[in-house]
Amino acid sequence: MDVYLTGIGWVTGAGFGWGRRGNDYSFPDLPLPVLTRKDVFPEPNQRFGRMSNYAKLGLAGIAFALRDAGVETWDTKRPFGVIASTRMGCLATDLEYHQTVLLNGGGLASPNLFAYTLANCFLGDAAIQFGLTGSLLAINETGEDGLGAIRMAMEELAMGEADTILAGICDLPVPDAFSDCVTLKPGAVFLVMTATQPVAPTGYGTVSLGDDGGLLYNKVHAGSLAALIQTALGQCNS
Amino acid sequence: MREACISSAHTVTGLGPNLDSLWHGLMAGGSAIRPLTRFATGRYLSGNASWIDGLKSTDGRSGIYPLLERLLDGFGPVPADATLITASTKGCVDVMERLQAGLPGDPAEVPMAQLLSGIAARFNLTSQGININAACASSTIAVARAAAMIASGRSEAVLVVCMDLVSEFVFSGFSALQALSPGACRPFDRNRNGLTLGEGGAALLLMSRERALREGRPVLGVVAGWGAANDATHITAPARDGCGLIQSVRQALERAAIGPQQIAAISAHGTATIYNDQMELTAFRTLFGERHIPMNSIKGSIGHTLGAAGGIEAALGLKCLKESQLPPTVGMLEPEEAGEGFLSRSVQQINGDYLLSTNSGFGGVNAALILRREEI
Repeated sequence: MDVYLTGIGWVTGAGFGWGRRGNDYSFPDLPLPVLTRKDVFPEPNQRFGRMSNYAKLGLAGIAFALRDAGVETWDTKRPFGVIASTRMGCLATDLEYHQTVLLNGGGLASPNLFAYTLANCFLGDAAIQFGLTGSLLAINETGEDGLGAIRMAMEELAMGEADTILAGICDLPVPDAFSDCVTLKPGAVFLVMTATQPVAPTGYGTVSLGDDGGLLYNKVHAGSLAALIQTALGQCNS
Repeated sequence: MREACISSAHTVTGLGPNLDSLWHGLMAGGSAIRPLTRFATGRYLSGNASWIDGLKSTDGRSGIYPLLERLLDGFGPVPADATLITASTKGCVDVMERLQAGLPGDPAEVPMAQLLSGIAARFNLTSQGININAACASSTIAVARAAAMIASGRSEAVLVVCMDLVSEFVFSGFSALQALSPGACRPFDRNRNGLTLGEGGAALLLMSRERALREGRPVLGVVAGWGAANDATHITAPARDGCGLIQSVRQALERAAIGPQQIAAISAHGTATIYNDQMELTAFRTLFGERHIPMNSIKGSIGHTLGAAGGIEAALGLKCLKESQLPPTVGMLEPEEAGEGFLSRSVQQINGDYLLSTNSGFGGVNAALILRREEI
């Protein structure tokens, strides 16, 4: 089944942006930009400042992807799903929270930090911010190609579980104590994909699954998430 | 669409090492909630949990591994082409605690990848699998995904493994949120005062009926419907009107192609927090009106097992349908007014073929499964 790519948003070591804004996209192994509310939302947002860095990162990626697809603003909640693949999840928040547990025998544990010690909690923020009422979940996978969530979203779209799904990756830099066991490039990248052909042209093409389980963009093997996005942006902006 | 059958189901909980021990413990009104000795609880709201002997991390390895050994040793063969889906909210969080405290531990155990690879290797699975993290609905969504994959023909067999531990990390957090009951939790009670944590696991093998018949495997029941939806209201509290849960159940009913009148029993999430239980009762009244459907929560017996809860409750749901009985809601003394006629401190009879099982969690997550009795 072909699904339609309608939006791309990202925060990587090279900066942040979205497809039709015309930003250059690359995914270098560099420190992530420090996101402020103004970087993500033009209007005041009371929640953003209280979020964990992991939540800010994921929410920004989702916001930019929805903006690129032209569906960031809303009047009525929509049944969009989100699948976020993460290898380390909210481990950085976990470590920060656990420091508060170690103080005073747990008596000073931070409830605000604890609320962000689940890998899916930033999706709750995304649901509130953008009115998303589909199935929103985080997944962990063993692969390193970053395509697990995209594949899963495509299967869900093909199975009729949803009509629109955002899928992508979200990882902060690996905490020092774990750097020997995991190598990854930090960042958040999300795609908006729909089962129904958009009424207006988006400039993007279709994504499908090959017989070998690999991802195809406009019927050509993508190889990796980064390669898929580079191809999509190249064709969109040419 | 093909039927998504469950051909094998196993649990490990505070009430014992298998599904039979869980069933008999629940039917007898038993509870595994007792004082915790795994870590000091003096600064927390509660000192109790439903915990399993022998899961304390002592040699640097996570207590998840002995839990998995008990769960998978008794599980039986799994076809090598089965897709693997696990469900856990915090996995080997006890190893992270050890490392933070300067104790020995392997950092590689903390990301979920090693756990996934270990389970895949144990059954020689070609699938490396994924772990689903959707808070306390993780395993409900894992079973739903497994059923969808089988129904659509994308997989012929899916192994779902659900697990979570009682850790000080999580215990302290719920205490900080003022969500722990000082004693043992009292689901749906008028005077409920918070949840009690538990630990455990469930393993379920889902197959198409054709594959199960071909391999001579039993069919314990069918996952007839499923649904998941977000409240989009709050990241730690449920929507007062139960909008996400209602939407999940309606999706599940539509998928199962049945009406609400065909639901014969409800295995509710029933955490015993004030807002969760009220939200569920509101949702079920909206969905089912004044009809008195037998409903229960087992968290007064085995605590809230977080990412494992939905898997354990699905395994138990099959047993309930087979026996046409719903275990009592242990801990409840006086049901909420909106739950009168639904809830009981005694065993209730199930007159029908469909059981609804629901879970909700942080992040606004809600999920529902409809299990169908296997005709004998």
